[in-house]
Amino acid sequence: MGRELQFEIFRYNPQKEGDQPRMQTFRLEETQNMTLFIALNRIREEQDPSLIFDFCCRAGICGACAMVINGRPGLACQTKTKDQPSKIVLHPLPVFKLIGDLAVDTGVWFREMYEKTESWVHTSKTFDPTKEEERMNNDVAEQIYELERCIECGCCVSACGTARLREDFMGAAALNRIARFVVDPRDERTDKQYFEIIGNDNGVFGCMGLLACEDVCPKGLPLQNQLGFLRRKMGITAIKEIFRK
Amino acid sequence: MSVDATLHVVRPSKRDAVLDWMQMLTGAGLILFMWCHMLLVSSVIISPKVMNAIAYFFEVTYMAQVGGPVIFLAFLLHFVLAARKIPFRAEGQDTIWKHAKMMHHKDTWLWVVQAVTAMIILIMGAIHMWVVLTDLPITAAKSAARIQGGFWFVFYLILLPCVELHVSIGFYRIGIKWGFIKSEGRAAFKKLEGLLFTIFMVIGIITLIRFMFLA
Amino acid sequence: MQTYYSDLLVIGAGLAGERVAVDSAEKGFNVTCLSIVPARRSHSSAAQGGMQAALGNSAKGEGDCPDIHFGDTVKGSDWGCDQEVARLFADASPIEMRRLAHWGVPWNRVVPGQSFYFKGGQKFEKYEKPENEGLITARAFGGTAKWRTCYTSDGTGHAVMCTMDNRCAQLGINVLDRKEAIALLHDGETCMGAIVRCLRTGQLEAFISKATAICTGGFGRIYKATTNAVICDGGGHIIAMDTGLVPIGNPEAIQFHPTGIVPTDILVTEGCRGDGGTLLDVNEERFMNIYEPEKAELASRDVVSRWMTHHMREGKGVKSAYGEHLWLDIRHLGDKHISTKLREVDEICHHFLGVDPRTELIPVRPTQHYTMAGIRTNKDGAVYGLKGLFSAGEVACWDMHGFNRLGGNSLAETVVAGGIIGAKIVEFLEGYETKIKTDIVTQEYKKQEQRIQDLISGRNGSENVYDVRNDMQEALMKGCFVFRNGPDLEETVETLQKVLDRAGHIGLKSDGLGVNHELAAALKIKGQVKLALMIAKGALDRTESRGSHNRVDFPERNDAEWLTRTLAYWKEDATLPDLQYEDASPVFEIPPGERGYGGGTIIPADEQFVKERMIKKDK
Ligand SMILES: Cc1cc2nc3c(=O)[nH]c(=O)nc-3n(C[C@H](O)[C@H](O)[C@H](O)COP(=O)(O)OP(=O)(O)OC[C@H]3O[C@@H](n4cnc5c(N)ncnc54)[C@H](O)[C@@H]3O)c2cc1C
Ligand code: HEM
Ligand code: HEM
Ligand code: SF4
Ligand code: F3S
Ligand code: FES
Repeated sequence: MGRELQFEIFRYNPQKEGDQPRMQTFRLEETQNMTLFIALNRIREEQDPSLIFDFCCRAGICGACAMVINGRPGLACQTKTKDQPSKIVLHPLPVFKLIGDLAVDTGVWFREMYEKTESWVHTSKTFDPTKEEERMNNDVAEQIYELERCIECGCCVSACGTARLREDFMGAAALNRIARFVVDPRDERTDKQYFEIIGNDNGVFGCMGLLACEDVCPKGLPLQNQLGFLRRKMGITAIKEIFRK
Repeated sequence: MSVDATLHVVRPSKRDAVLDWMQMLTGAGLILFMWCHMLLVSSVIISPKVMNAIAYFFEVTYMAQVGGPVIFLAFLLHFVLAARKIPFRAEGQDTIWKHAKMMHHKDTWLWVVQAVTAMIILIMGAIHMWVVLTDLPITAAKSAARIQGGFWFVFYLILLPCVELHVSIGFYRIGIKWGFIKSEGRAAFKKLEGLLFTIFMVIGIITLIRFMFLA
Repeated sequence: MQTYYSDLLVIGAGLAGERVAVDSAEKGFNVTCLSIVPARRSHSSAAQGGMQAALGNSAKGEGDCPDIHFGDTVKGSDWGCDQEVARLFADASPIEMRRLAHWGVPWNRVVPGQSFYFKGGQKFEKYEKPENEGLITARAFGGTAKWRTCYTSDGTGHAVMCTMDNRCAQLGINVLDRKEAIALLHDGETCMGAIVRCLRTGQLEAFISKATAICTGGFGRIYKATTNAVICDGGGHIIAMDTGLVPIGNPEAIQFHPTGIVPTDILVTEGCRGDGGTLLDVNEERFMNIYEPEKAELASRDVVSRWMTHHMREGKGVKSAYGEHLWLDIRHLGDKHISTKLREVDEICHHFLGVDPRTELIPVRPTQHYTMAGIRTNKDGAVYGLKGLFSAGEVACWDMHGFNRLGGNSLAETVVAGGIIGAKIVEFLEGYETKIKTDIVTQEYKKQEQRIQDLISGRNGSENVYDVRNDMQEALMKGCFVFRNGPDLEETVETLQKVLDRAGHIGLKSDGLGVNHELAAALKIKGQVKLALMIAKGALDRTESRGSHNRVDFPERNDAEWLTRTLAYWKEDATLPDLQYEDASPVFEIPPGERGYGGGTIIPADEQFVKERMIKKDK
């Protein structure tokens, strides 16, 4: 016999007229190896089919299922109930627009982020299908991949006090995205160009070093190091620019 | 790209970068000052003579007369810069408190502590500086007299922990924000931060007690 | 009615969808992509191992070329593939990998000098040439003659997906997420877009286009145990099949992957075995080397899954609360390898099993993984039966995989086919104009609205959609898994027909408002059961064993009668699919023969038949 789990789940469906935000309680018996993916699906299938939440890969690799689990943003699919107290409180991620109950709109937020950061390799070269690929050092490739591992779950943004206070703060995910292109030798952007994007209080100088981003990132991205790296780099860029004149 | 983006093409401004540098530098400067300040004031533990000697040194070199107001200005400047980050509207305050409570996350709480202590320091530090700087020269006897009055004892008992918290957190935060502290070193630095706080608190309290019982 | 217009509407923004979109956008056409989830969450991003391309840069891939890749693919397909298509694929794949490198994929690169690798649990040495330093490297995968699988750590799909989505952002392609297509707009001849349910508001919208491409990925979710994401539920297949005009190719060809973890069925990549991991039984002894002395753990997936199932039936499985399983052993690869090259695997083991793969064994068993089955297209990606409709990626039966696709070939297919078909769509769009029949749009819109109303009001009955779905999944697990046989299949068909009837009487338990999931499930359950029936009926009628389709009662591969592709249609109001057949391949470069692994006997095809279709390649 497993424990009886008590779920306190945030409910609000904006598409339903007159609906009010509230918390609703569900009970479920815990089974072996239970994750929140299993638990929430069971609740929906057996108790309340109107419950709204997102899952996709259910394997911790797509970032769809981020929510606030007992106060901390995290991936529901890889949260084992046995690591949680028997009362589990679930909220949707703050900062992002609410879709309904536990689901939020990360898609639009991240698309805007791609545009702000111009999240693609900027190169003047054109592709020549007859040619051998341009060479790259394997260590560099691994370094890029390390930063490319972000699954855009939004946990870091939701966990960041700055992002909650200031809507226009880009957040760790966006800054990490810039760092990814900074280390990529294929991207021809200069420090000055990067500065134009993140050299302000919406960008890297807005970060107050709260480090919640680093602590909640389910993929363990090296956000702290990247934020520090970028602040130094952009700080120095600014000074160089001042003295150039 | 949206159309209106072209309507206000702003030249990349270095304003925020400069302000951030200054915030860090004023903060770091104030930390240095507070350590020196600690040396001066706490020298009373060794003997009031030492403190008087140091104070005298500052006095004749005009460092107190000039340095005092300079520090005061740095203090104000740092306040103005850092205040950009503090939510002054009720709404923002509500958000950040809720957020900190939700997260149970130490570094987030540390920031809240920093912001709250900042406000206390702003008021009490200004009063303190005014009082001390308008009553130069500094001597151990004058200080003792003030503190033995009781009011200032309590005053410092509040200001001291605020300052020490703010300073040690600020020290750690500079390291984090500018990437001097890497993620591997973070735990160790946090310990150091705690240690700094404890040491300065102990010295500070001993100093206060010493003043209390200074004849 | 909210209506959107575009030149090209791509349903599905996985790798295939976005790659298809890129070409048209580059040429200045107006392109819209739809996806249920933000594009980067598409299931392509779950692919870990890598993608195959005969670049031949690594030491163990030396001498590789598209011809060998082509040969491996044909053998892998058990001669079920269309050889013209496989050839197109093998030739274009290296170029496409380089293009991806140009766009930003951080491929792992050749590190010169001596290094070690594992095979069958043993350590070997290799030497990478200094002159190849920095070129795209490769790892080993099942069923290949050379090391050919290009990779970025074990997050290849993720990295390529990011790059592709970046490319789309750069080109300003309208990629809309939380949009689920629920019906195609067509007049019986030409396709002109789709009716879409917005998953932000629950509203229906019409997307009208000159060309439409379905790129919605696989439909593994109709099985109970699958490695697929929850959104891989056949939505794209269903809207095509529902027209009654478009056939599903080879529905019985479903792949089962050897290493799904127990109990959650999450995949651990074939790269584990490629990098030297071994399979162990209850006695912690290897067994694949006994069944397949040559390839051992690295035989093709159908073969490994079959032997694993066989071995468990011999009583060598490990008993657990979740049924029997076997072990995957990667302990000997060492900490460094696991924490760099098999990092996702490490995380999965940690999060979902509580197992440390450096010191512990990983419980695995065969699990549904891939659908070779799909919307049948010609080699240009044009869907049979409707003009202006294209399809690419896992959802399509372009057919380079036949009855078994090789690991690393499908992720490669998404971009290679995406490129080829994307270019064909540009050709199609150039100078093409069509009349939009607004009455058809309105009609279809109303019809879908009515369907939703009926489900909400419970007009057709009160069956619970989740129960019906469950029964469908159970039936497939029972009859249409790794091994199949006549009587079981007959029973499955019967069961599924009953389930189909119930699927027509669904009534919602909830109010169905907004982004209601129950409604989404109810809208496609009927189509899913039809797909399930196609699998069961296709498998029942195909009285041979080929690739992943194993009939215990017909163990030989019968090239004399079954060198064919099933085309399954669902005509309106039918209770069973209408099965037709076409030649598996219009031409042969490699005549049907032995695969070199997997054993089994072959009933040869008519010599004359093969001879007539052989093509001479003068080189
Ligand atoms: C766990 C796992 C690991 C794998 N590893 C490998 C590997 O290492 N190498 C390899 O070659 N292959 C691998 N594969 C297979 C390969 O990943 C897939 O075949 C391939 O990624 C499919 O890509 P796709 O673009 O066709 O579809 P997907 O990437 O699945 O994209 C489908 C898209 O369609 C959208 N969609 C679906 N239905 C609708 C609808 N009704 N309306 C609107 N949009 C819709 C989805 O939102 C999504 O954007 C793996 C598969 C799995 C499951
Ligand atoms: C003796 C006095 C003070 C010292 C030594 C001091 C020191 C510091 C230091 C070192 C920092 C870190 C700098 C950085 O993060 O860039 C800091 C941050 C801060 N200080 Fe002070 N400070 C003092 C007074 C004040 C006062 C009076 C205020 C007023 C309101 C204030 C408000 C802040 C705030 C809000 C921050 C955080 C800024 C951020 O995180 O971005 N400080 N302080
Ligand atoms: C130039 C400016 C300053 C001068 C000359 C100065 C001088 C002094 C002196 C003489 C004392 C002894 C007590 C007394 O005489 O009342 C004292 C104590 C103290 N000061 Fe200052 N001070 C200055 C600025 C500051 C600032 C900016 C702060 C913090 C915001 C501060 C915080 C304190 C505290 C907390 C004590 C109690 C010390 C202890 O118990 O160790 N001072 N200062
Ligand atoms: S950086 Fe980490 S927490 Fe932030 S979105 Fe990416 S994966 Fe999620
Ligand atoms: S939590 Fe926020 S303030 Fe900076 S360090 Fe992380 S982005
Ligand atoms: S569902 Fe993909 S990360 Fe949780």
